[in-house]
Amino acid sequence: MIVAVADTGPLIHLDEIGAIDLLSAVDGLVIPQTVYEELEAGTVPPALGNLEYEIVEADTTELAVDLDPGETAALAVATERSAVLLTDDLEARDAANNFSIEVHGSIGVIVLAYHRDQLTKSKAAELMRTLQTETSLFITDAVVEQGIALLENSS
Amino acid sequence: MATDLTERVQEIAEARDVAESEILEQALERGVEDLWIDLVLSRYVNDEIDRETAIDLVGRDRVKRAERELQVVEDDVQWGLSA
Repeated sequence: MIVAVADTGPLIHLDEIGAIDLLSAVDGLVIPQTVYEELEAGTVPPALGNLEYEIVEADTTELAVDLDPGETAALAVATERSAVLLTDDLEARDAANNFSIEVHGSIGVIVLAYHRDQLTKSKAAELMRTLQTETSLFITDAVVEQGIALLENSS
Repeated sequence: MATDLTERVQEIAEARDVAESEILEQALERGVEDLWIDLVLSRYVNDEIDRETAIDLVGRDRVKRAERELQVVEDDVQWGLSA
């Protein structure tokens, strides 16, 4: 049973490659109100409406981290619920590790969706490449290719 | 895309009060530099060159960033395959 709390990054990056629906691979999706407001400041991905998710208020008062408000809220909710944090921000990942919170990003969601039969392996690899080339997520291309090789060598 | 590039070159040239040809020359230099960095990091990640060589060629920060990204991507793939 995977309950995941989404930061803004994966919602935007997966939407940029037309794959936000892959978030249905988790068993429960939680979006902090602050994150939703960050989406509203731009455009809430229309496809988000096809997903089941819960919007929650985050209590960040006792969380001493130097992150953006959305990242802080997502980390607070993940901590409170012992949930997986979904973020593509390296500093937010480090903070989650410091709090012993399991943390993954858009690539993890794509591979999880493949593992849960929502995608073929080749489509997952294609989406990983598209994530690197077509979105605002910065990641070195050779690193993505290493991830794809790891995926392709899996049974 | 070609129109966008042309318009941007014109806008940059006007803003900096230099010739469009100079902007294109700078763009080519920056583009080649980025591609060179990608190539070096690719060779490092693929174990074709060692860490010190990669640092000499593109700097410690870029190498450390690539290492961190690699750790994250491998962790995500392993999680996705096993969760």
